[in-house]
Amino acid sequence: MFNQGGLSLEQAPPISVVMKFFITASIFGLLLGLYLLASSSGLLTYSAYAYKVTITHFLALGVMASFMLGALFQMLPVIAGVVIKMPTKKSMVVHVLLMVGVFLQLFAFNTSISLLYLFSAIILGSALLHATTLMIKELLNVQDHSSSSKGMLLSLGSFTVAIVFGIYLLLTLGGYIKGDAFAQVKEAHYSFALFGWVALLVVSVSFQVVEMFYVTPKYPTIMSKYLVTTIAMLLVLKLIALFTSLPTVGIDLFLALLFIIYGVITLHRLYRRKRPTSDATVWFWRLGMGLLIVSMVITALGTISSIDEGLKMLSYLAFIGFALSIVFAMNYKIIPFLTWFHLSNQGYMEAPMMHDVIHPKKAKIHFYIHVAMLLAWTLFILFNPPMVDVLASLLVVLSFGWLLYHLIFAVRKYNYTQKHTEKMEW
Amino acid sequence: MIISNYMRTEHRACDEIFAAAEKHVIDGDFEQAEKQFLLFADDTLRHFKKEEESLFPTFEEITGSTEGPTRIMRFEHEQVRGLIGKMAEAVENKDKDAYLSLAESMMILLQQHNMKEEQMLYAMCDRTIPQDVKESTLETMKAIEL
Repeated sequence: MFNQGGLSLEQAPPISVVMKFFITASIFGLLLGLYLLASSSGLLTYSAYAYKVTITHFLALGVMASFMLGALFQMLPVIAGVVIKMPTKKSMVVHVLLMVGVFLQLFAFNTSISLLYLFSAIILGSALLHATTLMIKELLNVQDHSSSSKGMLLSLGSFTVAIVFGIYLLLTLGGYIKGDAFAQVKEAHYSFALFGWVALLVVSVSFQVVEMFYVTPKYPTIMSKYLVTTIAMLLVLKLIALFTSLPTVGIDLFLALLFIIYGVITLHRLYRRKRPTSDATVWFWRLGMGLLIVSMVITALGTISSIDEGLKMLSYLAFIGFALSIVFAMNYKIIPFLTWFHLSNQGYMEAPMMHDVIHPKKAKIHFYIHVAMLLAWTLFILFNPPMVDVLASLLVVLSFGWLLYHLIFAVRKYNYTQKHTEKMEW
Repeated sequence: MIISNYMRTEHRACDEIFAAAEKHVIDGDFEQAEKQFLLFADDTLRHFKKEEESLFPTFEEITGSTEGPTRIMRFEHEQVRGLIGKMAEAVENKDKDAYLSLAESMMILLQQHNMKEEQMLYAMCDRTIPQDVKESTLETMKAIEL
């Protein structure tokens, strides 16, 4: 009865669903590091525009979307009670199209070949819209929404808006449509992707994960009840303002302040946590929240006064650091747990314990690499000393390489246990 | 929401005792760790007993289904019971690394189980069980001992 398709596994997708997204994300991260290394060491030269959009989309789609979609396939059944039927098949479609789409898009940005823009719009658009619509459809059937499931729904809704706008931008760049509203759509695309998709998803997940996994005091009710809806409403208001040429400064300021309050409250929850462990995941969460606050303080400053380009770059870097820190924190919990969980559910008595899959010390080393990488880029942005961008790029390679190695190690451990250890038939 | 509130409070109480036991293990005080761990195990198992002997049968009777969420919850209880056994062994052997590793699995397993119960099952119980039956079920659960 309780075999591979055992009771608990009826809700959880096979481990391969999550693993393939996480491994792909790490490979994209590694490639991003190599791209940065090639450009910082002068091996390759690109236009400033191509360089900027390539890095942004390597990170936003190749790394973040892969991680976050993989995590959602796993977390939706647990956090929202949503069961995605045939997860292997559906996730494979998303996964393959996403990989192909990201590469096509990156080649389009770097070659400006019109057809590549068209193909990337179709393939990437199909991959992402397929993922968001299938998840949204299931989430809409949830009867008792928690703040987390509601936040996930709004986050996926924001992602859908960002994708549709992204398709518009790609078709404009390819010369297929006139793109009269290019500037407004671009601004809306970024806002919905960063504040809506990425930040809203982190907020939603944290309402469950921080409280429950670290045994912290509850988030204030006003925050868990209204924050995600308020952020989504502000994004809609911003969209209206952008298309009616009204100022958006007030909305940006309000959004930034909300995220600052959220960051401070989360740090305070973590400080008052009952669980004494101070493993790497706690440090990744602390760092992530600190960086979110830094990024949003600069954003808020930028809405009330003019700030120089260096500060703006720091704000972007802090936001990237925030998103990656949370993703890494989740990785180091999810992967060892799933490896143990699936193997023990299948009846393998020698299923490796979490620390045998990825030891906390290894995760801590990744934390140090991640911090060093962020410091190196900060140094580069502020003082631009020679060779520091090469060092920073190398640290990007090392950071994702380190994660990739441990993900592959987990897969090998999983396969080894299945092949070489005794299975108990229930 | 009387079912949700009562059961959620019990979940949180177990979390706090669990955290206390973990702290003693980290500090190397295995005598206190064992005391706290046994307290955690007793409270968790009593909570499961309340669900399996009172809440779940009431829910199953009203919904007419034993194949729904309660079946999954019962299975997950078995997984937790298995881990409690392993953790008891680790705390008895004063094996810090094994205990902390198992504690990590236990925490995630328990929390994802609690999430499902709090967000789905208890909410369904509060919605579908008539008020008077809910009150009597609650009284029965309060009286259950290990």
